[in-house]
Amino acid sequence: MEMLKRYRFWLLALGVTLVLPLTMRSGTLATEVLVYAMAVMACNLLLGYTGLLSFGQGIFFGLGSYGLGIALTRLALPLPLALVLAIVLGAAAAALVGWFAIRQRGTYFVMLTLAFAQMFYFLAYTTPDLTGGDNGLLDIPRPPVSLFGTELGSLAGPWQFYGFVAVLFLLVFFLVLRVTESVFGRTLLAIRNNEERAQAVGYNVRYFKLMAFVLSGAITGLAGALHAMLMGIAPLTNIDYHTSEMILIMTVIGGTGNAFASVLGAAFYVLLSDWLSTLWPRWLMLLGFLLIAVSLFIPRGLWGLGEMLWRKMGREPAKPIGQEEQA
Amino acid sequence: MNVYLLQVVNGVGIGMLYFLLAVGLSIIFGLLRFVNFAHGAFYALGAYLCFQALQLGLNFWVALAAAPLLVGAFAWLTEKVMLRHVYALPHEFHILVTVGLAMVAQELIITSWGPLGVNVAPPESLQGVVMWGSFVYPKYRLFVIGFTALLAVGLWWLLEGTRLGSAVRAGSESTEMVSLLGINIFRLFSLMFALGAATAAIAGVLAAPIRGAEPFMGVEALGVAFVVVVVGGLGSFTGALVGGVLVGVVQSLMSTLWPEGAWLMIYVAMAAVLLLRPHGLLGRG
Amino acid sequence: MTTAILEARGITKSYGKFNALGGVDLRVMPGTVHSVIGPNGAGKTTLFHMLTGTGTVTAGTIVFDGKDVTREPDYQRVQRGIARSFQVTSLFTHLPVRENLRLAALGTSPRRAMDCWRRPLGQLACADTVDSVLQRLELTRVANAEAGTLSHGQQRRLEVGMALAARPRAIFLDEPTSGMGIDDLAAMKHLIRGLSADHTVVLIEHNMDIVMDISDTVTVMQQGKVLMEGTPGAVRNDPRVRAAYLGNMITGGGK
Repeated sequence: MEMLKRYRFWLLALGVTLVLPLTMRSGTLATEVLVYAMAVMACNLLLGYTGLLSFGQGIFFGLGSYGLGIALTRLALPLPLALVLAIVLGAAAAALVGWFAIRQRGTYFVMLTLAFAQMFYFLAYTTPDLTGGDNGLLDIPRPPVSLFGTELGSLAGPWQFYGFVAVLFLLVFFLVLRVTESVFGRTLLAIRNNEERAQAVGYNVRYFKLMAFVLSGAITGLAGALHAMLMGIAPLTNIDYHTSEMILIMTVIGGTGNAFASVLGAAFYVLLSDWLSTLWPRWLMLLGFLLIAVSLFIPRGLWGLGEMLWRKMGREPAKPIGQEEQA
Repeated sequence: MNVYLLQVVNGVGIGMLYFLLAVGLSIIFGLLRFVNFAHGAFYALGAYLCFQALQLGLNFWVALAAAPLLVGAFAWLTEKVMLRHVYALPHEFHILVTVGLAMVAQELIITSWGPLGVNVAPPESLQGVVMWGSFVYPKYRLFVIGFTALLAVGLWWLLEGTRLGSAVRAGSESTEMVSLLGINIFRLFSLMFALGAATAAIAGVLAAPIRGAEPFMGVEALGVAFVVVVVGGLGSFTGALVGGVLVGVVQSLMSTLWPEGAWLMIYVAMAAVLLLRPHGLLGRG
Repeated sequence: MTTAILEARGITKSYGKFNALGGVDLRVMPGTVHSVIGPNGAGKTTLFHMLTGTGTVTAGTIVFDGKDVTREPDYQRVQRGIARSFQVTSLFTHLPVRENLRLAALGTSPRRAMDCWRRPLGQLACADTVDSVLQRLELTRVANAEAGTLSHGQQRRLEVGMALAARPRAIFLDEPTSGMGIDDLAAMKHLIRGLSADHTVVLIEHNMDIVMDISDTVTVMQQGKVLMEGTPGAVRNDPRVRAAYLGNMITGGGK
């Protein structure tokens, strides 16, 4: 019972992965929710836990897409290696960008992440041999899953691929949960609360931030790779400012308090955009208003909204992180 | 005429526009301690208002005067109604609110003027070229250099030579002290925010005959403004000037040597400056 | 003659054209209570920043326990055995008191804090240290409350506790009693007095009662330089010190 309580967020995530196939018709759309959920969780590791607002998540997402695309189409690497390449690319780019950006604080840091995002965008644009430039990398396959040479299953069908992504998603969710509840995660929270104090009691704050950045980059790279396989293409847009912006918006709208809120944010955005974009091409305007409204009135996002309703019904909300264990 | 000299002069012109963009951002950051992510949107609005004015049959000079006033008023209103409530919150929310604002502005632009770009012609009096020995150069671009230089002088005087400027500079050190001295700090904030937006709008109007107007120019401008501020140093007037011209010249030269890489080189240059001088060339740190 | 545990020579700190410290020498002997006093603007807190590594000196050397720590930032000096409290309370306000102390305790072995898998239980909870500090601070009752909800006096005690939890060789307290009411003051005085048994204490204080009563050595600063240094008695009677404090009597102190 104790275990169930500890992993309740993971169980919620499991619930989502089971509910999506039952309630949605499009396997592609369902997979998109999970893919972006991973990117949003990675972004929240920075924003909600370390207090870092990063406009550079698109860098890692795009590099993950390109990495996988090149690995599968040019280098003919097996799928696991291709995914590893994407993760490594994401982590490496995060180390590079992080090293520059983390030396600065507050809004200067945010500005730098945006500037680096632009840089990588133009880098991708000017290297069409690698990235396909404006067109992106096309015809990205979905190789079947195989273990030691024997084929386990094809990923060709949308729901088959969904299953594959769902497994990875649940794995990543579990890992993120462990990280955020670990000593490392607690230290990040302390850094977010009061950097000077964290430094004064002995923590190399810069290093901790960099570690969080690298972790975030790695996970986002994986998400980008899966996205490329989902769509069959690694487009230039995966590395542009808009992607970074959208990932951030999903993070904020979902709520920065816990990993499951990130899933909510991703689901909200992906489903809303799918529904609204056909009705009204300028639906992003609504999203802009929503972002303003959430920032001003509901800073705890959709999850916070849910908590408020839960409390109105007379129940106790989940305790915020930091007050759970009373060792 | 020597191609490189031409590009350097072009670069100075563009650079002065970048300076205008950056100085507004720097002022707002210096005083309000937050970076306005809608700054690029003000620039885009300036350009589109110029286009619209011309469509309505008004002339360029009316647009040059009216656009900054309109955009400034809009910014002033936004600050009073919305942004004022955000100051007490951590800086993430300042940024997110202005990002939302920028998004709304971009979509409004697309709704009003379509998703493709539009062209704006320079005013008749400034069309054509100027000839000075072997130096042949478009009149309009020369005008841009001269006009922005005048504006720079004006802004410098405003910040260094007037009581308002002293209040702004003092306010960027300590808002508490300034309000204790009897200056209405909130009105000062609104005014400076509007001024920052207005300078971005002027930059947009001036840029329109050179590069036209298109909906994503706001994001592009925001990125450039950030680069200029990083290169020149946050909060530094001369830094914005030096940084702006430097970025403009690099971009222009690159457009001859390696056109696709022009934008990339700006950002690489920024990274180089960051490596060697983390607080910018003239930053205070 | 025993060697000083802290030897600072020629400490200079300039902010642009403003000289906050103009060449300060300080020797702190181990196991003593060494107070730094002086009028506002004397540079006491700036000196602290230099000694604890919160800021870096413009010139000068700092040797702690035989090692040159001049270029080491604060998080490294914690490992050497230097811990501090701040003049303006700086706690992890959204975290419980216990968590605040746990973080401070684990800060002496920060590599263990990089564990991405284990939760802060068992060894990583530093329960022994945390519990003993809580007891000493008389904050056991509020151990699970958010630090931001504590009263001012409790927060100032927790500030001291953050330094204590690192089990330092030398503990630097910057105006620990600032803003405290009479009730809290007695508890704080008792706390600081108790510290000198296990630590070298370097103290900035305006409360002369405490300074004169518990210090072994007092350094008086003025305008970024050391005015004089000596026993509490010598300082109290020194005419230069009287003049620096504008002729106000330095009252307080028992013997």
